[in-house]
Amino acid sequence: MTELATMEFHPQPRPGEAKPWAFPAPERTALDNGLTVLRCHRPGQQVVAVEVLLDAPLDAEPAGLDGVATIMARAFSEGTDQHSAEEFAAELERAGATLDAHADHPGVRISLEVPASRLAKGLGLLADALRAPAFAPSEVERLVRNRLDEIPHELANPSRRAAKELSKELFPAASRMSRPRQGTEETVEKIDAAAVRAFYDRHVRPATATLVVVGDLTGIDLDALLGDTLGAWTGTPGEPRPVPPVTADDTGRVVIVDRPGAVQTQLLIGRVGPDRHDRVWPAQVLGTYCLGGTLTSRLDRVLREEKGYTYGVRSFGQVLRSAPDGTGASMLAISGSVDTPNTGPALEDLWKVLRTVAAEGLTDAERDVAVQNLVGVAPLKYETAAAVASTLADQVEQHLPDDFQATLYRQLAATGTVEATAAVVNAFPVDRLVTVLVGDASRIKAPVEALGIGEVTVVPAE
Amino acid sequence: MPMGHTTTAEAGSGGLAATEHRLANGLRVVLSEDHLTPVAAVCLWYDVGSRHEVKGRTGLAHLFEHLMFQGSAQVKGNGHFELVQGAGGSLNGTTSFERTNYFETMPAHQLELALWLEADRMGSLLAALDEESMENQRDVVKNERRQRYDNVPYGTAFEKLTALSYPEGHPYHHTPIGSMADLDAATLEDARRFFRTYYAPNNAVLSVVGDIDPEQTLAWIEKYFGSIPSHDGKPAPRDGSLPDVIGEQKREVVVEEVPARALMAAYRLPHDGTRACDAADLALTILGGGESSRLYNRLVRRDRTAVAAGFGLLRLAGAPSMGWLDVKTSGDVEVPVIEAAIDEELARFAEEGPTPEEMERAQAQLEREWLDRLGTVAGRADELCRYAVLFGDPQLALTAVQRVLEVTPEEVQEVAKARLRPDNRAVLVYEPKSPEAAPDADVPEDPEQEATVEAGRDETENEETAK
Repeated sequence: MTELATMEFHPQPRPGEAKPWAFPAPERTALDNGLTVLRCHRPGQQVVAVEVLLDAPLDAEPAGLDGVATIMARAFSEGTDQHSAEEFAAELERAGATLDAHADHPGVRISLEVPASRLAKGLGLLADALRAPAFAPSEVERLVRNRLDEIPHELANPSRRAAKELSKELFPAASRMSRPRQGTEETVEKIDAAAVRAFYDRHVRPATATLVVVGDLTGIDLDALLGDTLGAWTGTPGEPRPVPPVTADDTGRVVIVDRPGAVQTQLLIGRVGPDRHDRVWPAQVLGTYCLGGTLTSRLDRVLREEKGYTYGVRSFGQVLRSAPDGTGASMLAISGSVDTPNTGPALEDLWKVLRTVAAEGLTDAERDVAVQNLVGVAPLKYETAAAVASTLADQVEQHLPDDFQATLYRQLAATGTVEATAAVVNAFPVDRLVTVLVGDASRIKAPVEALGIGEVTVVPAE
Repeated sequence: MPMGHTTTAEAGSGGLAATEHRLANGLRVVLSEDHLTPVAAVCLWYDVGSRHEVKGRTGLAHLFEHLMFQGSAQVKGNGHFELVQGAGGSLNGTTSFERTNYFETMPAHQLELALWLEADRMGSLLAALDEESMENQRDVVKNERRQRYDNVPYGTAFEKLTALSYPEGHPYHHTPIGSMADLDAATLEDARRFFRTYYAPNNAVLSVVGDIDPEQTLAWIEKYFGSIPSHDGKPAPRDGSLPDVIGEQKREVVVEEVPARALMAAYRLPHDGTRACDAADLALTILGGGESSRLYNRLVRRDRTAVAAGFGLLRLAGAPSMGWLDVKTSGDVEVPVIEAAIDEELARFAEEGPTPEEMERAQAQLEREWLDRLGTVAGRADELCRYAVLFGDPQLALTAVQRVLEVTPEEVQEVAKARLRPDNRAVLVYEPKSPEAAPDADVPEDPEQEATVEAGRDETENEETAK
């Protein structure tokens, strides 16, 4: 056995002087066709990130055609008036580019990443996709079949399955939010090229779209590039769609999605709360971080680092959809997985943590660490062009001012322990949480019922 | 302080440069300046991974990595996490076959704290390591295993393919997560011995990248790490060399509750660090690296027999690399249909080689991936450590993309011809277990029945430990 050798110890060093850093302010312009453009030069970022927001929200999908926005988003990269589907994919890859598109409650988002040296090529392909998508019947049919094939994979994934069940529980059946974003088997199989084309004609136009470009733009004449590419996109003028209000039933209850034999239980505990327009948002971010932002937060300190029930449990607030008048909403949730035999004890501890925060409040020390982390990591978090572009696009999508993120950092620094406590206690009230458990009902139902956290129902996994 | 040598930025390195230094105790140091953003990345690679583990103690390197966050002489409990996050930093550690890495990305003015923390645990972990943290992190890691592998469909596919591809007794036969039984068997004394054996300054490379003053940074490194004694007791890892080709087709059929049939395969490929490995990377990219790849076009677009089809490359330096094929079938399509199409495409590719357009596309894709990797200080720090630990020269990180761009179509064809053959792969087939599942007669011929027994044993182990 080797002798434990010693080293020379030094006291913990003190930080140097912080260098100034601010969230980048974009420049905002518009093209002649009405397309809003936000640009931001980030020196050294050789991969340029481009985001496009289309005002084609899920609630605009025709009744019975849930998933048509998703199929349209995917079909953008399946051929144009210039290229077949295979050629389009090849041209993108020749430019070293990636193009991703997805549909969500606020609208359709398209993300292009391309080396700065090939930005012209990348923007040209993006413009073709938006301006003149082929929507060939055979390609749409393939995307529909592909989507139908994906559904069983999602249902078999515990966290995806939990998310689907929570939406169904929280929102009224008439609300688009109660149903899967990408549609169900029954709705997707009804989608064809004509439906995709109709959705495109109704909701996609430059006048209601926004383009965000972030990266090292040294030596790039972006105005000329945009004029030649997205400037050629035409469309009728359009007004933004009104945003329907969000209502949710957060009566405390438990739904077990039965997966016999599961070695773990997936937890998703949530409700609906305010979005970024609400004054409570900075305090809610801070309080939610103290509750479950990292492995030294309240939840993991007990559930992971003391009890070992889990690899990690997180609490978070995720904007569902915002409105210009501030009537939007976010999903407030706690998620993670715990081993099957410890499901009851883990939930009991989780509720105990929530009750303790409500009874005793957060401490100044944990508030301070949280602020230092949330504000301090900003220069790391926004090192890449893609991260900056994504946040700028989120702000536009959520009807927030372009300096929202920069302001948020100042507000976080000015938020006190009392406000953070009040916000997190209001966000996660112990009797108004909907708990979805994906796990082996025969083993977890009785222990969960014994906790008294709400009526327990069991539903089959499929 | 020992003098380091300085290199200037080379062509093709994107203007990046790195300097190398070595402390008297053997710690290798790589520094790279970049003042664009006020952040600094610290990355520490220990030359130890799951390939160093011994029979009955799989998963120990990774479990040990967790213990590195449980405190050291001057850092209490979760202090490492608390201090870094409280300083506005982010951090983590990961374990693979060939190395264990620890990293912090800090606001530039907090760099010294990260160096102090890494030095404290490198020099004094055993002062704090106790049964309580051992028992707790054992449970955490077992839950990590359940969450990432055991409780998700196809979750143990990689583990099964690895076991098929690298023979029993080979250092890469098991994956870093380890088995539940071995995780249960690990003792505090195992962990202590592991630290004493592998966690020494002369078995590590430290890189610091970002908005730094190199002279000051080196002085801090000397101050905090310089007095940690070196230690030479590390046994050489077991030999990982294998014949270039497997020589037969290994095969395992798994009947499990999965949502669809799947065909997966692992091809034995050249070692990382060789030109042939870069050629293999290009071949896999052309065949299965995106939505314009040959397999995607054939299976997903034209035949419409698959919902997803792609190739991935696991680069390994101490053993042959692995090319991982993953195809999920569409609807009721059966595996032999897919397999025949794949064999046809691979044979055609070996026969004809890549087209100039395919080469251009694949090289553009790999170039962008490199730009992404080197576009953050943390990514750059990790790559510098990788090339220093695995190939003895961090500068190779800055020219890696050039080497990929220099590969010729002939080299790509050559590696495809030599390696992407049915007798050089391990195949894993998933058949769904449900009332509608295909009857046994539809399961493809399986010459390797033993392999199926192995899958059963894995399941049994998991069930036992779950009780």
